[in-house]
Amino acid sequence: MRNSVRAFAVMALSVPVIIGLAGVAEAQDKFKLGMAVGGNTCCEWMKAQGDVARALAEKEGWDYVELSNNNDPATALKNVQIFAQEGVDAIIQFNGQAASNPAISAVAKQANIPIVTYDIADPGMYFVGIDNLGAGVAGGEGLGAIVKEKWQCNPDLVISAEGAGAGIVNEWRTGGMRTGLGNVCPDIPKEKYVSFESQGDAAVGLPAARDLLAAHPDAKKIAVVGLNDGGVLALINAAEQLGRADEVIGWGQDGAFITGDNVNPHLAGSVFYFLEGYAVYAIKDVIKPIAEGNTPALKADAGDPASKVQPCPVTAEQAKAVPDMPERVKQLLAAPAGTTEYELFCPNKG
Amino acid sequence: MSNAMTDTAASTLPPAPHNPWRELLTGSVASITFTFIAVVAVGWFWVGPKFLSFGNISIMGTFLIVPLIVGAFSGMALLSGVVDLSIGSMVGFSSAVFALLVSLGWDPASAAAVTLVACLCFGGINAIAIVGFGAEPIAATLGMLVALRGIAWVLLGSQGAIFAFNIDMFNLVSTTVFGLPLFFLLAIGLTAIAAVIVTKTRIGRHVQAVGGDDKAAARAGISVRKVRVAALLLSSFGAGLGGIIYAAQLGSAARATGVGLEFQVYAALMIGGYSILRGGVGNPIGGALGLLAVAGVSNILDLKAISPYYVNIIVGLLLLAAVLLDRLRGGDAYE
Repeated sequence: MRNSVRAFAVMALSVPVIIGLAGVAEAQDKFKLGMAVGGNTCCEWMKAQGDVARALAEKEGWDYVELSNNNDPATALKNVQIFAQEGVDAIIQFNGQAASNPAISAVAKQANIPIVTYDIADPGMYFVGIDNLGAGVAGGEGLGAIVKEKWQCNPDLVISAEGAGAGIVNEWRTGGMRTGLGNVCPDIPKEKYVSFESQGDAAVGLPAARDLLAAHPDAKKIAVVGLNDGGVLALINAAEQLGRADEVIGWGQDGAFITGDNVNPHLAGSVFYFLEGYAVYAIKDVIKPIAEGNTPALKADAGDPASKVQPCPVTAEQAKAVPDMPERVKQLLAAPAGTTEYELFCPNKG
Repeated sequence: MSNAMTDTAASTLPPAPHNPWRELLTGSVASITFTFIAVVAVGWFWVGPKFLSFGNISIMGTFLIVPLIVGAFSGMALLSGVVDLSIGSMVGFSSAVFALLVSLGWDPASAAAVTLVACLCFGGINAIAIVGFGAEPIAATLGMLVALRGIAWVLLGSQGAIFAFNIDMFNLVSTTVFGLPLFFLLAIGLTAIAAVIVTKTRIGRHVQAVGGDDKAAARAGISVRKVRVAALLLSSFGAGLGGIIYAAQLGSAARATGVGLEFQVYAALMIGGYSILRGGVGNPIGGALGLLAVAGVSNILDLKAISPYYVNIIVGLLLLAAVLLDRLRGGDAYE
C-alpha cells in the first residue's frame, strides 16, 4: 500500500509539472465548425447528419470537428467543453437528451460560441428543425383519410406506439398524430385509443406490442400511429406474427422505413423530415452568416425558428419515388449550395 | 527432507530488503499504474502537449467527478464481497428526486439531504434482502436497478426530464482551483481517504477480511452482517451523491441519467484491480486510476476525432490486458 500511495503521489505531483510544459491550443485563422451528432445507435440518420455537415463545411473551406453525444447528457456537456477548448467558432448539435441543454448553453455562452440545435428547442440556442407537432398532425390526417375511406372512421382500435424516452417530442409527434386522426375522424371513442411503449424501435417494442394485441383479441381494424416508423413497425410486425395483420394500417414519422425495396405493406405512409440533410438549413441560415461576420439574431423558439424544416407527409405509394438515404445524401451534396432535400425529393411540395 | 531443510532455511533467512520498485511491479495497483502511464504517454505523443493542458484535464475531470465518487463508495461494497448493480439506477433516481425538489422550490441543501435519505432507504432495502434474507447480491441489486429506473421514470413524468437549472449550483460544481475543477479534486481526495481507510485502518481490514472469506472473518469475531450492511449503505450514499452532482452539473434530470454508469464504473474498477466476484481484492487508488485511464482513452479519441464507438473496444481490451497482466505477475500473490 505504501508504494501504491507513493506511486499515486508521484504521479499527482508530476501532473502540474507536465502541465507547465503543455502548450496552448494552436493558433487558427480558418472558421471552425463543431458538430455533436446524437450518437444513438438506433438511427443511421444521426451519423449521416455528421457526414453531411462535414461535407458542407469542407465545401465552404472551414475546419470541422465532430464528436458524438452518445445519447448521453453528460457526454453532450463534455463535448461542448471540448469544442470550446478546440476553439470552434460555432457548434451544431443534435442532443436527444436535451435536458442537459441549459448547462450546455451556459458553457457555450461563457465561451461565446453560438450553438445551433436540431429539433428540440432551447432558449440559448438557434433552433433549426421540424415542427414536430405539425408533422404529427399532418401524419395523423394522412392516416385519417385512409381510415375514413376504408372503415368510415370506425376502427376497432387506434394504437399509439409511444417512445416516452423522447420526452416532449413523443408528446408532439404521437399526440399530434392522434390529434390529426381526430381532425378527420372526430367521433372515434376515447376507449378505442390505446398505447404501448415501443421505445421507437421495431425489435425492442415487439414484445409489448404482442402483449397489447393479446389484450384485445377481438380487434381487427387497427390503425397505428407512433413516434417514428420503427415504433409503428413494432406493432405491425407483432400483428403479422400473431396472424392478425390483415386489417392493420400504420402511419409513421421520420420516413426511415418508407423507402427502398422492402417497405412493409401495412405501413401506409410516413412523414419525411429528411433528418440527414438538416445541416443545409443550419449552414445557410445561421452558420454561414456567422462565418461572414453577420451573426443573425438568436431565434430559439420552435414556433419562430432560425430555420424551419418542412415536413413532407407521403403515402407509401408516393414514397416509392423518393430515393433511400445514401442516395439522397449523394444527390444533396451534388446539388447547388442551399438546396434542401425537401426541394429535391418531397413529392407533395406545398 | 530437502524440502524441510529448505523451509527451515527460508524461515531463518532475514526478510528481503525493501525494494519499492519491485513492490511497485507486484503491488495491487501495478497493472493499472502501467496502463495509466501508457495512456498518458500515448496521449502526450499522439495528441501533443494539449493532452495534458489544464483545460483538457479540467474537461476530463469534470466528466469524472461522478464516476470517481460512485466508484470510491461502491468499491467498498465490492471489497466486502457484495456487488451493487443498482448504482447507475440509484444515480438516475437521485438526480430525479433532487431535480424534482429543486424545481418545486426547495433550497438545494434540503433537497440534497432528503435525496440522500431516500437513497439510503433503498440501500437499506438492498441490505435487508442480501444480508437479512441471504439473497444473491447480483439478483437483488439487479431487481433494485430495474425498480429504481422505473421509479425515476415515474418521477420524470411524460416529458422524461425535469429541468432544474440553477446557476448557483452550476457555478458551484464548476468551480476551479488552480485550473482544475474543485469537485474533481475533492473526488480525488475522497479516493485517497478511502484508500487510507481500506489499507491503514482496522475498519478497512475488516471489510477486506469479510470480502476475502466471510466465514473466517466471522470466526475472527468480525460482524460480517454489520460490515456488509454498512458497505451497501455507503454504496447507495455514493450513488445518491453522484446523482445530486449530475443534476447540478446538467441542470436537469433525464431518463438517460446514470444509464450504463454501473458498467462504466465496474469496468474501470476491474481494470483497476477489483474483482466483481471475489471480495477483498482491490484498492480505491487502482479504481480511480482505472477511471482516469478509460477517460484518457476516450479523450484521446475525441481529440483525434476518432469515432467514440471505438472506446468500448479499447475499454474491453484494457480490461483483458489488465487481467492478463495481473495473471502474469502472479495473480493473487499480493492479496
